[in-house]
Amino acid sequence: MINFTINGQPVIANKGETILQAARKAGFYIPTMCYLEKTTPCASCRLCVVETDKTDGLILSCQTPPTEGLGVTINSERLEQERTNIMRLYDVNHPLECGVCDKSGACDLQNKTLEFGISSQHFSAKDQHRTIEHWGLINYDPSLCILCEKCVHVCNEIIGDDAITLQFGGYKSSVIPKNSDALDCTFCGECIAVCPVGALVSSDFQYSANAWELTQIPATCAHCSAGCSLTYEVRHTSNSIGAKAKIYRVTNDFEHTTLCGAGRFGFDFAVEGTKEESEFAKAIAALSNASAIRFSSFITNEEAMILQGLKEKLGLKLYNEEARAYQSFMSAYASISGKTGFGGSLDAVRQSDGIIVLGGRFTSDNPAVRYAMTTAARHRGAKVVYMHPIEDELLQNVVTQFVKYEVGTEEGVVAMLAKTLLAGADLSDEVAAFFEALDEGYLCAECNVGDEEFARIAKSFGRAKSKTLVIGSDVLNHKRSANIARLCAMVEAYTEFSVVVVPSNVNTIGVSLICDLDVDNGGENVVGYNASGDYTMGSIGNVNLPLPSLNQQEGTFVSINHQVLPTNVAVSYDGYTLNDLASALGLKSDNTIDYTHKLPLSKGFSAVAFDNLGNFFTPLGEDERGYRLESIDVEASGTLEEIEDLPEFNGSVVYHCNPVNQFNGYTARTSQLEKEAMLRGSAQFAAAAKIADGDKIRVEFPHSTQERIFKLDSSLKGTIALVPAYDVGFGGLNEHYRFEKVKIMRMGSES
Amino acid sequence: MSKVYFSTWRGEQINNIGKSDDAWEKSAYNLPLEYNEHAHSKAFIGWDGVALFNPDVDVVRLATEYAAQYQVYSEACGRCAPGRWGGRILYDLLDKIARGEGSLSDMEHLKEVSRTMQETSKCEIGKTVPNPLLDLMTHFESEFVACIENQKPSKHYHLEDTSYIAKITAPCMDACPAHVDIPAYIEGVRDLRFDDSLMATRQTMPLAHTCGRVCPHPCETECRRTNLDEPISIMELKRLGADYETDHGFGFFHPSEKKPSIGKKVAVIGAGPAGLTGAYYLALDGIDVDVYEELPVLGGEVAVGVPEYRMPIDKYNQDIEAVRSLGVNFITNSKVTADMMRRFENEYDATLVATGTRISKKVYCDNERQEIQGYWGAIDFLDKVNLQVKYDIMVPEADQKRHMLPADFVDLTGKTLVCVGGGFTSMDVVRCAIRANAKKVVMLYRRDEKTIIKNTTYEEYHEAVEEGVEFIFHSAVAEMRDENDVLKSLIVDRYELVPDPNGGRPNLEKIEGASFEMECDYLIPAVSQSADLKLLPEEWEIERTSWATIKTNGKDYMTSRKGVFAAGDCEYGPMTIVNAVGQAKRAASVMSRYVLNGEISLTDDEIMEDHLRKLKVYDKKEKIVGWLPGLPRQHSEVLTVDERRDNNREVKYGFTQEEALAEAERCMRCYYIAMVAH
Repeated sequence: MINFTINGQPVIANKGETILQAARKAGFYIPTMCYLEKTTPCASCRLCVVETDKTDGLILSCQTPPTEGLGVTINSERLEQERTNIMRLYDVNHPLECGVCDKSGACDLQNKTLEFGISSQHFSAKDQHRTIEHWGLINYDPSLCILCEKCVHVCNEIIGDDAITLQFGGYKSSVIPKNSDALDCTFCGECIAVCPVGALVSSDFQYSANAWELTQIPATCAHCSAGCSLTYEVRHTSNSIGAKAKIYRVTNDFEHTTLCGAGRFGFDFAVEGTKEESEFAKAIAALSNASAIRFSSFITNEEAMILQGLKEKLGLKLYNEEARAYQSFMSAYASISGKTGFGGSLDAVRQSDGIIVLGGRFTSDNPAVRYAMTTAARHRGAKVVYMHPIEDELLQNVVTQFVKYEVGTEEGVVAMLAKTLLAGADLSDEVAAFFEALDEGYLCAECNVGDEEFARIAKSFGRAKSKTLVIGSDVLNHKRSANIARLCAMVEAYTEFSVVVVPSNVNTIGVSLICDLDVDNGGENVVGYNASGDYTMGSIGNVNLPLPSLNQQEGTFVSINHQVLPTNVAVSYDGYTLNDLASALGLKSDNTIDYTHKLPLSKGFSAVAFDNLGNFFTPLGEDERGYRLESIDVEASGTLEEIEDLPEFNGSVVYHCNPVNQFNGYTARTSQLEKEAMLRGSAQFAAAAKIADGDKIRVEFPHSTQERIFKLDSSLKGTIALVPAYDVGFGGLNEHYRFEKVKIMRMGSES
Repeated sequence: MSKVYFSTWRGEQINNIGKSDDAWEKSAYNLPLEYNEHAHSKAFIGWDGVALFNPDVDVVRLATEYAAQYQVYSEACGRCAPGRWGGRILYDLLDKIARGEGSLSDMEHLKEVSRTMQETSKCEIGKTVPNPLLDLMTHFESEFVACIENQKPSKHYHLEDTSYIAKITAPCMDACPAHVDIPAYIEGVRDLRFDDSLMATRQTMPLAHTCGRVCPHPCETECRRTNLDEPISIMELKRLGADYETDHGFGFFHPSEKKPSIGKKVAVIGAGPAGLTGAYYLALDGIDVDVYEELPVLGGEVAVGVPEYRMPIDKYNQDIEAVRSLGVNFITNSKVTADMMRRFENEYDATLVATGTRISKKVYCDNERQEIQGYWGAIDFLDKVNLQVKYDIMVPEADQKRHMLPADFVDLTGKTLVCVGGGFTSMDVVRCAIRANAKKVVMLYRRDEKTIIKNTTYEEYHEAVEEGVEFIFHSAVAEMRDENDVLKSLIVDRYELVPDPNGGRPNLEKIEGASFEMECDYLIPAVSQSADLKLLPEEWEIERTSWATIKTNGKDYMTSRKGVFAAGDCEYGPMTIVNAVGQAKRAASVMSRYVLNGEISLTDDEIMEDHLRKLKVYDKKEKIVGWLPGLPRQHSEVLTVDERRDNNREVKYGFTQEEALAEAERCMRCYYIAMVAH
């Protein structure tokens, strides 16, 4: 703690905090143009200069920590004069196109120009010709760019794409794609979000609306389990009476949160619905006769409550294999840890200096996990071990050790990993004996991971102080998932590691907590809700009764952080809701969100009404959205089972894995996101399957058959191909183990 | 002292305007009066003032050109609002005045923009570019006003009679023998762009892992932050870029793309720091390089001299692989002879001799005979230790016998070892001896503790003491005593510093009667090394220095034999790694032009580099403004004595990311632009 003063008032800074951070916390205003809370200081605008009693000359508050007893002055005539001159410089030759600029009305340059009262151009310099760049979803206008470097910092430090850089050239400087002619990135659009002016804009949104015309709807992203905060910005599409509002764009509180491309650009997945009584009656009939409801986890907690209520009321079964797998995994996990849920969070990952990630392809499964890893790697120098059968090129600048294991051997890998991490821990005799008895030679040989690789993990984590183990969804549907869960729980229970088990879908955790799920044995008269069935309803696919999608509903999700997060209606819906159906069936409730405060306390929910849930970040970045689930103590009676013989996967193997920014049927139908639904494989895979780039092929899975185009992908190595799932059926990923043996037949070439 | 017409350099006020040539007052600084052998300078202008050497200089044009350089060189900067736009406005307004279109309000705007740049710019370029411009506008106001009032161009505006040569520098870059762009690599760390950091280092220094560990960092002695509180920990910050490349398994981040082969061949003799550096930059320039190395391993003294606990071989090998990745061909176990050199002259377009100094000098005591067992030169001692520790190359049987070793590695269990030295090599000897389990390890040094710290580093000395090395200062070996050619003891004289009655430097004088006998098993002379130059054909009569190294002019590194170049210790005498790197980098640059046209030349950048080093960029008297003092220098964690003294684990952990960022944040980016008009 450092005591100092600002304008004579005492202020306290924590170790590592800068003068600017301490000032903001204490409520002082120091102007900035380039400062971004979540990255290292760009230090380019120089507006945040201050005076002190220990220095001659002005010092930069964004990058200077205070010293004990320092007296800082943040307003003075001299400071005002220099800051005004800096703003005058920013305004030199800045195009006067505010009338059409996307940023107008929400532009930092506009705001500061007004703040400093600059009404004319004070200095002059020769103007220069600048060319607007078109980079797909992103447009860049260098003449509007003030070179604050926020975009460059966020792309490298938070996202990890490291796709843009500053081309130094003094007055001619500009932002350019790094190491390529065109922008080659995952199109998260975070650069657009942080741009303080109109230099980087969404090409879709450009010239379509003014900032002040848009209504902002705070919501939670409905694409994956990260529960990212976002704002749907909506406006009526015309002035005619009855014109519906549509979403024009998605923005985020970029100082404190980060969005992936799907969250930012994949917002147009709302459905149309009308109220037709005959259709409603058919739905009621189908539900009344149903033996089961099959549903996916693209629903709110409140809807999950309704489904559970229907189960109890009508005596039907609830099918959701994906959530059930998660439920069983976490139940086995709790049998060791003695409490519900896992201990880690995305924040824990971000703060880590040692991270192990296993069993998932996080760049596409859950980009927020990737961003947390990037943040830890850059800011904490985290050692990151990635364990998976397939290397991920996008993670190269994050991962410090890639450990490749054989498909299907996760149980052996996790056992060896647990043994490595538990070395020296105070284990019970029984557990110690279990690890002692592991046949390391066999496990290492079958997993194809050398013991030196485990030794290297132990060594590189030697100095780490905060460590996280991230478990992906590969293991959830593994035959041995329960034992894998118990092994992972051992790591959390007996080491300093916190664990995160990444849920597959938006509200997998919520569903798995609220619903009492049954084994899906099929059966007759199954009603599908956002899933297949004899009668179907929902917001996806060709359904018998449309119901609103997740950006048309109020309700809550449970995120990977065990946070209960509210979401709101961005686009209105004129048809029926699940609550209408349930009410007609005797489960009466005025609104779906009347269930919010009835969510089960026994699972850690709190009795808070929907309207009392916060949905914002404070200016200092404290997350005031919803509330955190409580962890409930349970009996820890689980014991480790002996490791089974490890399976072998020979021949052609594919991995169910979506391309970046695609998650499910919802993202699949949005207009901006790229939809390249090909089977992607390495040259080695192509040779083994006797296929070539562009071939039309038939892929025979154990449960189904698909026809796909094969794409040769030079970034891939090895004998496993990637097959997307977002465009198939209801877009459900992870109902089966994600690797499958397939038969591949060439049917011809693309043309 | 330089004869100048006018100077405001470093605050001096020399104004000989109107005085006759021989009445000129002289400047106190080594200003670059002669640009090179072909050209006299007309003016020098830089961050701390301006000097005119000739009354005919067009000061308005000079100011304009200096402002223009800020634009040209802005790839080094252009990263803050005041610098980027301010710099442009300075140039536009000065050029407007110089071409005869200015107005008096332009002068006011120039002063206003200058002030904002001086107060708020990110780096020292932005802060200092206005300094000499304001000097000129103050002292030669009439010339500016004349251009404005007459609306006429300045006197030489339309003449192309003057060359303006500019160079970016910084105090640390100037002090570094390899002139590494230190602010850039620290900025890379600060911005978490570690690839950029490494590429900045590799522009002039390929051995990033190595010089992030074992460089004596002369840059830190001339770090401007010292004037405020403590110098930046420059050396260690180099490791972040190198570790990033290695940890993530990237290929190699080279500073530029390797040029396609130009069909020229160069032989490099010796694969130490100088040889590797020469090979690296020659290869980048598209020259085919064969490196001949006498030892079975690559790396020279850093490999077989510097111990594992200071310089882990896996890290050094990364640096070596970076060189190899450019297609450099290494030939080990190949000691180059005079005959081979004669052949090379025909087979290669040029040769770079970089053989170092690998002969341990004697301590000059009585009975100092090579055949006494227990008398063991430092270089050979360290060879044997390191070859085994780093490469599992065991000590051959004959050497085991010769050095009384019980096994095929250096095991000193139960033995007493005395080392005579005081430099890095001697520190390596005694600390290796501790790790070889010696019973007692003694360092004899003629001078005092302060000097040994100055000659090495505080950490090095301190760690050796911690590990149990006994230092006896003000001492020297007078005699070796043996029995049947086996060393038994030493007679050691003691000295004291006697003040010079005339006020000069105190003299070391022997204390009579204070000598003592000391039993020991080994005496390791580590006083200095000399070069083995038997490879140079006698008939070539290559010139030597008075201390028996190869002579060059210290600028282009060509020997007296055309096409034969020399760099590193064999040229300079035993010196630092970074010195070898700096020399070899320059030699490679000269050679890459020589192989094309047979001429020896320096680039303008190199000429300016030498001028600035003579002038000295760092000013230890300068008062720093715009930075808060009292932010402590970060120190990385080291292994405890118990953790390190019986093994070869690297002693220093290196910075955590948090420490590195805090340290990088302290860097003041002291870039400057200097310019000569000739």
